[in-house]
Amino acid sequence: MENIYLPQVAVIQDIIDETYDAKTFTLSFEDKAYNEKFSYKSGQFVEASLFGVGEAPFGFSSNPNHKGTFDITVRVVGRVTEAMHRLKVGDTMGIRAPLGNSFPLEESKGFDILIVAGGIGLPPLKSLIEPMLDARDDYGEFTILYGARTPKDRIHTKELEAWSQRKDVTIMQTVDQADDNWDEHVGVVTTLFENVKIDSKTTVAFTCGPPIMIRFVIQDLLTMGFPEDRIISTLERYMKCGVGKCGHCAIGHKYVCVDGPVFSYKQMKRLPEK
Amino acid sequence: MKVGEKYIVDKKQFLDLLISLKSDYDIIGPKKMADGEVTFDEISSTDEITFDYVNEYEPLKRFLTPTREELFQFSGQTNNFNLTPPKDINPFILFGVRSCDVQGFAHQDGFFSGAYVDNYYWARRNKMVVISMACNVPLDTCFCICCNGGPWLDSGFDLQLTDFGDRFLVDVGTQKGIDILSKITTNKATAKDEDLRQQLMQACDEKMVPVAYLAKAIIQISNNRVKEELWEQFGAECFSCGGCTHVCPLCTCYDVQDTMTDEKNGVRFRFWDSCQYCGFTHEASGHNPRGKTKERVKRRFYHKLSYAYINQDGHPGCVGCGRCITVCEAFGLLDMAAVVKRIRRDGYMEKQTDNAQAQS
Repeated sequence: MENIYLPQVAVIQDIIDETYDAKTFTLSFEDKAYNEKFSYKSGQFVEASLFGVGEAPFGFSSNPNHKGTFDITVRVVGRVTEAMHRLKVGDTMGIRAPLGNSFPLEESKGFDILIVAGGIGLPPLKSLIEPMLDARDDYGEFTILYGARTPKDRIHTKELEAWSQRKDVTIMQTVDQADDNWDEHVGVVTTLFENVKIDSKTTVAFTCGPPIMIRFVIQDLLTMGFPEDRIISTLERYMKCGVGKCGHCAIGHKYVCVDGPVFSYKQMKRLPEK
Repeated sequence: MKVGEKYIVDKKQFLDLLISLKSDYDIIGPKKMADGEVTFDEISSTDEITFDYVNEYEPLKRFLTPTREELFQFSGQTNNFNLTPPKDINPFILFGVRSCDVQGFAHQDGFFSGAYVDNYYWARRNKMVVISMACNVPLDTCFCICCNGGPWLDSGFDLQLTDFGDRFLVDVGTQKGIDILSKITTNKATAKDEDLRQQLMQACDEKMVPVAYLAKAIIQISNNRVKEELWEQFGAECFSCGGCTHVCPLCTCYDVQDTMTDEKNGVRFRFWDSCQYCGFTHEASGHNPRGKTKERVKRRFYHKLSYAYINQDGHPGCVGCGRCITVCEAFGLLDMAAVVKRIRRDGYMEKQTDNAQAQS
C-alpha cells in the first residue's frame, strides 16, 4: 500500500529572491527515476516538509510544461516558512505532490482570459499563465491585472516585465501605496477594471489573492455579468495532511485539499461557511 | 460454518480458546483496573477479563488511530535525509467491544478509504479481529437505538457474542471469525436461542433513558434553519474543551508535528486534534475562519447531522454511545442528545428563508 504521508526528498536547485519576504525555490527530486516520472497541473500544490520543523502547503508557481524541476514561491508568515528562507541551494526538503485539483485549462480554450492577482496570489496564477501562453492561439484576448501593497511587494517582476513586452497580452499593474519610482496605477486591483475592455460573455476570469480582495473582485465580476461558473478562484485554509483526512481545511463537507483548492464561484457559493 | 450463521458455545470454552490464541494475536479485552474502572487492555489470562462493564469511557478508536502515532522517523542534516516508516504491528483481537464502537469502526473504515487510502489506518485495521459483545444492559447515557448503533448489530464484527450467562450466542460475521470459531465445539443456535436474544435486546432497548430524535435536527441543520440565537447560545455555553470530539467514536481529526529525539534524529507523528479548539483553523497569517466558539459548535453538528455528510457517509455522524453526554463540561447542555432536543423544541425557523442552503 502506498504511504500517503511519506515525503520524497527534493533538492533545492535554485533560489530567487522575489521580494524582501518572498523567495522562489526551484526543486527536483533526489530519486532520479521519481523525478523523471513526476508531473503536475496548474493549480495543484505541494506539502513541503522541513524535518524537525513541520510541513506546510504551497501552490506550484512554475510552468507544468517544463519537466525536470518545479518551483514553489514562499512568503515568510510562520515557523515553517521562516525556516525555509534559511535554506541554501543544495539543501533538501520533503515534498508530497502533486495534491489537489487543478485550473480548468482545457475547458477555458476558446475563451478570452482575465487574470486578477493580488500580492502573493500571483505565483499559482503564474503556473496557469505560462502554459496558456505556450498555447497562446488556443485562447482569445489575454488580460492580466496585478495589484500589490507597494512596488516592493510585487512577486515575479521579471516575468511581469516579460509578459508586458508581449503584444498579445494586456497587462496592468497597480499598488496600494506608490513610491517615488512608481509611474503606473495606484489603487486596489479592482480599480483597474475600468481601464480594460472585458467582455463577460466570452471570458473566463481567474483570481487569486487575499480573501478580502477575492471577495471584491468576485462582486465586480458578477456586476460585469460574468456567469458564476466562469469565475475561478482558489481557497486557502490551514492544512495539515493535504489528502482529506486531518480535517483542518474542511468547509462544509468539502475539503480544500482534495475538492479544491480551485473552485468556481458557483461551487464556493454553495459552501455553508463563507 | 458460514457467514451469517448463529452458534451456541460454552462460555468457559470460548474464553479458553481466546487465551490460547495469544501466540498469534495480542488479545485486548475489558479489564478491571485497580481504581475499579474498566479499561480495554492487553489480556493474558481468562480471570483478567471482566464482564462487569457496559462500556469504557474512552472510545476504542484508539486501537486504529492511536492518540499519538508515529508516521516516520527522520535522521540526517539539511542536505542528507533518511526517512524510516514504523514497523508493522502484531495482529490483535479486540474482545468484548460494544456495538456502538463497532459501528464507529465501520465509519472510520469508510473515512480512511477513498481517493487517498490511509495506509497507517489500514495497517492496523487489517490486523484487527473484532469479537464484539451485544449489550444486555445500557448505561443511563446510552441511546444507540436512535442511531443504528446497537444494542446488537447485523454486521461490522468478525464474531458477535450475546451473553447468555454460561453460554454465548455467536453471530458469524466474516471468514476471520469462522477461522477462530471453528477451533471449538459449537452447536447451531435454535429458534429458542434466538427468541432469548430477542427478549434480552428488547429489555435493553426499554431501559434506554436519553432520546435523540435526530430527524428534525438533521432537517433543520441541513437547510440552515436553526436560529442564529441558538448557535449564539451554544457558543456562550461551550468551553471549547474538545471533550466531545475526543470521546466520539466517529471523530477522526488529527494534527501533525515533528519532534527531535536528539540533534540529528527526530519523529513526525500525528495526534488527535479537535475542530472545537480555536487554533484548529488558525492560519499563519492570523486569519481564522472559525475563530468564534459558536462557529465551531455549528461545524461539529453540521458534520454530524447534515444531509451533505449523511449522503457522503451513508449514515449520520453518531452511534449513540452517549460518551459526549458523560464528558460535556458545559453542564450537559451540548451533547448530541441535548442539542438535538434543543433544536427540535424551539431552535429553528418555521419557514424556509432566502438564504437556505442548496444541497451540492
